Amino acid sequence: MPTATSGRTAVTHPPADSTPSVANFERVVDDYQRRLYGFALRMTGNREDAEEIVQDAFVRAYRALGKMSPEQRADLRLQPWLYTITLNVTRNRLRSKRPSNVALDALADPDAILRESHEGPPQPETIVEQNTEIALVERALLQLPMHLRAAATLRFIEGRSHPEIAEILNQPIGTVKSHVHRAVRILRRILGPQIGRFATEGVPLHALS
Amino acid sequence: MRCRDVEALWDELRGECQASLKETVHSHLRACPSCQAMYEQYEGVAYCLSCLPRPEPSCDLAKKVVQHIAAIKGKGYPPIVLAAVTTPVGRLYVGFKCDRIAYVSLDTGAPAEEIVARAERRLHRRVVEGTAPGWLMHALDRFFNTWSLDDALVDISDLTPFEQAALRAAARIPPGEVRSYAWVATQIGRPKAARAVGRVMARNPLPLLFPCHRVVDSSGDLHDYYYGLEMKARLLQMEGYRG
Repeated sequence: MPTATSGRTAVTHPPADSTPSVANFERVVDDYQRRLYGFALRMTGNREDAEEIVQDAFVRAYRALGKMSPEQRADLRLQPWLYTITLNVTRNRLRSKRPSNVALDALADPDAILRESHEGPPQPETIVEQNTEIALVERALLQLPMHLRAAATLRFIEGRSHPEIAEILNQPIGTVKSHVHRAVRILRRILGPQIGRFATEGVPLHALS
Repeated sequence: MRCRDVEALWDELRGECQASLKETVHSHLRACPSCQAMYEQYEGVAYCLSCLPRPEPSCDLAKKVVQHIAAIKGKGYPPIVLAAVTTPVGRLYVGFKCDRIAYVSLDTGAPAEEIVARAERRLHRRVVEGTAPGWLMHALDRFFNTWSLDDALVDISDLTPFEQAALRAAARIPPGEVRSYAWVATQIGRPKAARAVGRVMARNPLPLLFPCHRVVDSSGDLHDYYYGLEMKARLLQMEGYRG
């Protein structure tokens, strides 16, 4: 069916000047650095780590683009691809760091995470904001196991849809939904029942942000 | 519908969804106070996360990326070769150019890819993986026998004069002894720069060889170490420190 083919081509091939390449890479950096930095920051809770992660992620992307054919580059969905690379760099880095006080693998049992977190609160230097409510939420997010933190961050902070998150995490949509759901369950328990008030009354986070 | 089935639908309501789906969830919530309370908490979590501030990256992040890319494209310089070597303190990645060592990193389990990226970031040079030549193994053997550095075997010429001076001063601390950040600062004629010395030690591209592990607080507290205080204490102990 010739019409279907041409229709598909029109959708998947963006205008030539927006195809990412090593030549226009500075623009790619400029377009995505804030987004990727925000993501890496929420994943690590540390500005310095986040900056280095983003730098490494861009360099990796640059190298990968250099090895791709023009067709591959034209078909590339840049934003999810960059998120994926950032996530991989983050994983490598968090894995190779000294084990943190939070048991990242205690995922099957939310209560285990809560017990852990009560025994050892995150070190102060890993918390980005000192503002009490905001710091509370930041800390809670950092207490999640990495894969749940990624799902929650992409869903609620980055505002990505389920299919987009599935693409970034390379997981089935059903898995993404269940991860988002589990992340919320755990956060709800860490943050306590008063959390419902925040949304309905629009305070106090609203005033602080 | 059971509560659990409805709960699985909550997140669907955030995007565009069918009105019938919305109605299914809301009619259940109206009839079920415990679900209603939990749903409010769910909304609260989503709301709190969406309210987190979005700090900007530092304004030179893009510049650093461009520099890093320029460094790995740099054809004029030979790259730094990074080799994995087993030593008495564990597995090390050692970077060298020509006949001098320019980079050392303890293997913390990170993939080689990440070590290469970290070295490139620090050295502003292309880094490639390779194997350790004979002279390098020899030099490391000698170092771990004596714990003292042969200046002819290292290259820190890319660092700032202040960084070079601070690292050389640290190398003058005898093995098994410690000195304070202030001591190093005084040694290099910048007695007020103890904090800056601390930063140099934290970014030391040649840990172990330039013994930043021998630099401690003025109170004698080990203070901090990139590879953890336990490692700092272990290194000092291996050298014969009785602290």
